[in-house]
Amino acid sequence: MARGGSVARLAAAALGLLLLSACTNNPYPDADDAARIFYRPLSEPPKSLDPAVSYNFSEHQITGVVYATLLDYHYLDRPYRLIPGLAREVPHAQVLPDGRVAYRFRLREGALYQGDPAFALGGASASAREVVAGDLAFQLMRIADPAVGSPVIATFAKIEGLREFSQRLEALREGDPEFARRRIDEQYAAAGGIAGVKVPDPHTFEIVLSEPYPLLLYWFTMPFTAPVPWEAVAYWDGEEGRAFFKDHPVGAGPFRLTKLEPQSRVVLERNPNWYGLLHPEWRAPAAVYPTQGEPGDAALGRLDPAYVGRALPFLDRVEFRIEKEDIPIFNKFLQGYYDSSGIVQESFDKIVHEGGLSPEMAARGMQLEKTVDPDVYYIGFNMDDPVVGTPAGEQGRKLRQAMSLVVDSREYARVFNNGRGVPAQSPLPPGIFGYQADYQNPFRRVDLERAKQLLDEAGYAKGIDPATGKPLRLSFDIGDTSTRGRVRFQFFVNAWNRLGLDVEIAATTYNQFQEKVRKNAYQIFMWGWVADYPDPENFLFLLWGPLANSKSHGSNTANFSNPRYDELFVKMKNAENGEPRLAMIREMRALLERERPWIELFHRENYTLFHGWVHNVKPAGLSLPTARYVDIDPELRSRQRAEWNQPVLWPAFALVALGIAVIAPGIVTFLRERQ
Amino acid sequence: MEAHVVSNLVVALLLAGAAALAIGVRRNDLWRASAVELARRRPIALGVVGVYLAVALLDSVSWVGGGDAGAGGNALDLHRPRSLIDRAFPLDLDEKSYSAPLASVEFYGGAPLDHPGRHLLGTDILGRDVLHLTLEGTRVALLVGGFTSLIVIPLALLVGVSAGYFGRRIDDVAFFVMSTLASIPNLLLLIALIMAMGRGAVQVCVAMGVTSWVGFCRIVRGETLKLRELDYVQAARALGVSEPRLIWRHILPNLMHLVVITFVLLFSGLVLFEAILSYLGIGIDGSWGQMIDQARDELARDPIIWWNLAAASSALFALILAVNFVGDAVRDVLDPRTLRERQ
Amino acid sequence: MFAFVVRRAAYGFLTLLGVLLLLFALFFLYASPHEMARRAVGEKAPPEVLEQWIANHGYDKPKLWNPEHPLDTLLVDHFRRTLSFDFGRSDADGTPITQRLREGMGPSLALAIPSFVLGLLFSVALGLFVAYFRETYIDRMGVVLCVLTMSISTLLYIIGGQFLLGKLLRWFPISGFDASPSVIVRFLMLPLLVSLADGVGGSVRFYRTVFIEEGSRDYVRTARAKGCGDLRVMTHHVLRNALIPILTRVVVAIPFLFTGSLLLESFFGIPGLGSMTVDAIHGNDFATLRAMVFIGSLLFIGAQIATDVSYTLVDPRVRLE
Repeated sequence: MARGGSVARLAAAALGLLLLSACTNNPYPDADDAARIFYRPLSEPPKSLDPAVSYNFSEHQITGVVYATLLDYHYLDRPYRLIPGLAREVPHAQVLPDGRVAYRFRLREGALYQGDPAFALGGASASAREVVAGDLAFQLMRIADPAVGSPVIATFAKIEGLREFSQRLEALREGDPEFARRRIDEQYAAAGGIAGVKVPDPHTFEIVLSEPYPLLLYWFTMPFTAPVPWEAVAYWDGEEGRAFFKDHPVGAGPFRLTKLEPQSRVVLERNPNWYGLLHPEWRAPAAVYPTQGEPGDAALGRLDPAYVGRALPFLDRVEFRIEKEDIPIFNKFLQGYYDSSGIVQESFDKIVHEGGLSPEMAARGMQLEKTVDPDVYYIGFNMDDPVVGTPAGEQGRKLRQAMSLVVDSREYARVFNNGRGVPAQSPLPPGIFGYQADYQNPFRRVDLERAKQLLDEAGYAKGIDPATGKPLRLSFDIGDTSTRGRVRFQFFVNAWNRLGLDVEIAATTYNQFQEKVRKNAYQIFMWGWVADYPDPENFLFLLWGPLANSKSHGSNTANFSNPRYDELFVKMKNAENGEPRLAMIREMRALLERERPWIELFHRENYTLFHGWVHNVKPAGLSLPTARYVDIDPELRSRQRAEWNQPVLWPAFALVALGIAVIAPGIVTFLRERQ
Repeated sequence: MEAHVVSNLVVALLLAGAAALAIGVRRNDLWRASAVELARRRPIALGVVGVYLAVALLDSVSWVGGGDAGAGGNALDLHRPRSLIDRAFPLDLDEKSYSAPLASVEFYGGAPLDHPGRHLLGTDILGRDVLHLTLEGTRVALLVGGFTSLIVIPLALLVGVSAGYFGRRIDDVAFFVMSTLASIPNLLLLIALIMAMGRGAVQVCVAMGVTSWVGFCRIVRGETLKLRELDYVQAARALGVSEPRLIWRHILPNLMHLVVITFVLLFSGLVLFEAILSYLGIGIDGSWGQMIDQARDELARDPIIWWNLAAASSALFALILAVNFVGDAVRDVLDPRTLRERQ
Repeated sequence: MFAFVVRRAAYGFLTLLGVLLLLFALFFLYASPHEMARRAVGEKAPPEVLEQWIANHGYDKPKLWNPEHPLDTLLVDHFRRTLSFDFGRSDADGTPITQRLREGMGPSLALAIPSFVLGLLFSVALGLFVAYFRETYIDRMGVVLCVLTMSISTLLYIIGGQFLLGKLLRWFPISGFDASPSVIVRFLMLPLLVSLADGVGGSVRFYRTVFIEEGSRDYVRTARAKGCGDLRVMTHHVLRNALIPILTRVVVAIPFLFTGSLLLESFFGIPGLGSMTVDAIHGNDFATLRAMVFIGSLLFIGAQIATDVSYTLVDPRVRLE
């Protein structure tokens, strides 16, 4: 009996010690405390890091720093402007006599890829291989390759001969099953390459487009056009235990991927072969910290002399953790375990007071950055619908105008986003050519009386549908079943209810919603669009007739089709920024104002928080990967983390004491009784 | 037929059914003694359950029309069916957004409310009165527990008794079906069914029913096997009593105590589980589970918004606790040993 | 005995087939190859790319009946591949499923086994404790506490646990996982405590009933009269003879150790098999779902057979028919 008792006591003590030792909320190993590591959350695991395929924000955080591109954006200057990256300078379009357009890039000589066992295939040592123009051609051929499934093939089809190359490649594969098993570079060579892609010498790269497309240069800042070594694609094919290329990127960027655990984390480490580190004497614009920026940047500490002109990157590692819920992300940020974060609505008032940091947060050394994202969020009407769309003619238009007059973007922002968000008057956000700060869309102010009047004129007096004698029934189709999403949509429904309209929320999963879209079976929906590049074409194309969802499954989900708008769009698309272009955009805007295919809601305003130990941050809306410009002070971070995360242990002891106090008398009485 | 008309009919049926049940119990000495014993042991818990029942019933009787929209209300609401509980609240009671219980200003920003001091439990993110939402949630909770159990029990009885009584082939088939269903992870089955059938209240109840009947069915089957071997049942068979009559008069009544116990246990389990479904996005609209799910975000705020979570979880907790206590007492009262003693 | 096992195994196999059929029907009831493609490739992809994906993954075959080659349907594929353990690659991101299974098993077991073992030890000990002090205020308080804890939804335990222990008291990380030995315990403590709190009520009540029943038997009174110490009576006599009901409860829970607690893993960000299943459900990843359900069913059926067999080992009076 005594032995049993002492064993029990020992076990309890061991358990207690184990508990106490585990009692810390630091999710990182203690050894990493002193390293220059930047910690960021990723909201979903990366599905593919293949630069020809990857097209979402999370993946871009990785591919954007692992792959080096020919061009980049200047980190600090606004509006965004292009600077040369792997290319020696930003090329100009050369118009050829027959209307075609050519661009010629000159590559830097001596830029190397990261070391990788794949390069043994080409006979080179595994330590390095120079980046050559042929790699760019290879990547474009990959985009053209139907088996790769690149989502941007339609954009690059403007390159002369791209489609033909795809067809030849496919024909060769179908004709001979053996062909498809040959090494990928041999396949492309056998298909003859792309006519409009020329490689006169290893460091010169030329593209010929069949028609002018000034926006092409923006695509050269994205990993889609980064040079990719054919050895990597051929070697990392998933055979014999090797990884897939989509999980094993091989690039010439400032970082390389060293660990990929899709369910928990991604680790990037500094790439010693990065040309910025190997050749600081080049003073390449994309490899040194900028020497100038916007007027306010110096005051905000972004032009710190300690960094200006220095070679990039400054960090040793970037670590991403997969976190699917945003509240834990923010809480961990507050504890110091993430270095930057957006602000969740729930904690907003603790962080921000009257547009600036609250005193409590300022005392912690935090920095707040505000940007207006180049995006637009809107409620759309399906213009094919017989009740709300074009078939309903004047009646439909007045209905849409009425519904547009009761939606209060400002109130929505106040309730759901702590007042963040610029109420949108048109599809174009601030910072994009064609945006006019003082333009007020007459249908985007709240005017209940006028809305009721319009509704009457439309034949729906007090919201009653004359055909049924009951309130007009409309369907708001959303692809979100979460409780959080529902309340946000209910806000709009409440607004329309005030007109007497009976709007029903038809909530399905996102997949089922996409099915509805495919079948054109929706009436009112809500969506957003974030710019790929800073040009008005990238917003106005969402309402272009030929891209209507019902016609071609394009991005014009509202199925808006107005001949004058379509005509203007084609003219505006390729025009240079100037008065004529502005006039065209104004006319298009007036059309949208009247027709109301969209109820423009807001342009998101991003408040990003950074801890005091992070240097050189400037949030960029176009999902620019900024890891190479950023630096950490590990010592300060360590100190502040310890300060903020002392566990509160007294409740545990109190609970145990309470438990003993309650039970002991009972035991004592019981034992005594039995004597 | 409109949903609210169906609901009214169901309430009428339920009341009629309850009345019939009450009469039946009164006439049967055994059951009446058990009922009295139960009331003696757990008056408070029974009372609580009764209150919830009353609220749910009141919320199920609804009709269109009557009342006026008030200064800030929508004309639209006059065209929607409103229950007795709904009518206890004025139509335009909604505020703009959050407000604390009995407050006179908004929680964020301090703007004065339209109805200061009228919200006993505060308002939620869209300004709806939390007390009203909680009362509406009662109906959903009892619907989930009650309706689903009403699906589960007859189904389990049917299959279980058939398998236990007729044995052989039917038993094999029943066993096969039960094992198959039991081997699929519950959550998967539920999600698949709800996504296929749609997210209405009835569909969710049916889906939950499909995933919950196997356990009880096994018990029924076991009991039936035992009952079948009892002397007087054998005797009745020898005397040539027809099978249906046999089952109806001899087997089923002896399963009733199990039915009652299972009903009570199932009820609490189902209502608790609905909260999890709400987290996954496939719960029923307006349930406490949905309120709790929303409260996850609210707990992260600073200062925290606690009244939504407190209201929904207290209501849920009180109901389940009461049901559990009643369930325990029911099990004790209907324990075959004590039943025989009382006989 | 052998004949029994064989017969049960045969039944089990039939059940397995039934499960696979049901899974097939359920999945294709609510998902379609188009949705799966869109999920995998991304929403910005044009239709031609989606069609390519569907063809690449073999989902363009007819589901049930193929007039040209009667056996070349999705249904037949489904059965053939699953039963031969050829799980293939995930539909969501192309990783081999066996690899995902291997990766996910570690975290799931790391949470499930301690949770199970500790929960069992804790509940049995508490059950013994309360049963020993039966009819005193300790017992009554214990029962009330059990009912109280049973009346709280799992969701509330999780939310409350994260808020209280993670955010307020800062004892443990709110969520996440890292398998390195120096930090793994931190991440497991909170889900462990939550799962303990959630399950303890029902288990303790159950064990208490069982122990009280055993404790009231004649042989216990004899043992006490003979002068055996209380602790010995409780552990050596009562506990051992109450093993059958305990065993049933325990063995039936074992398959769920592998599949992982879907809810806990999902909430706490533990990359185990459970959260893999939830992701597969939401992401329309049929290949992964198929593998998970198959393994879960296999284990479940195996566990049932094991339960029956273990009965004989524990109680010689029980004979299998």
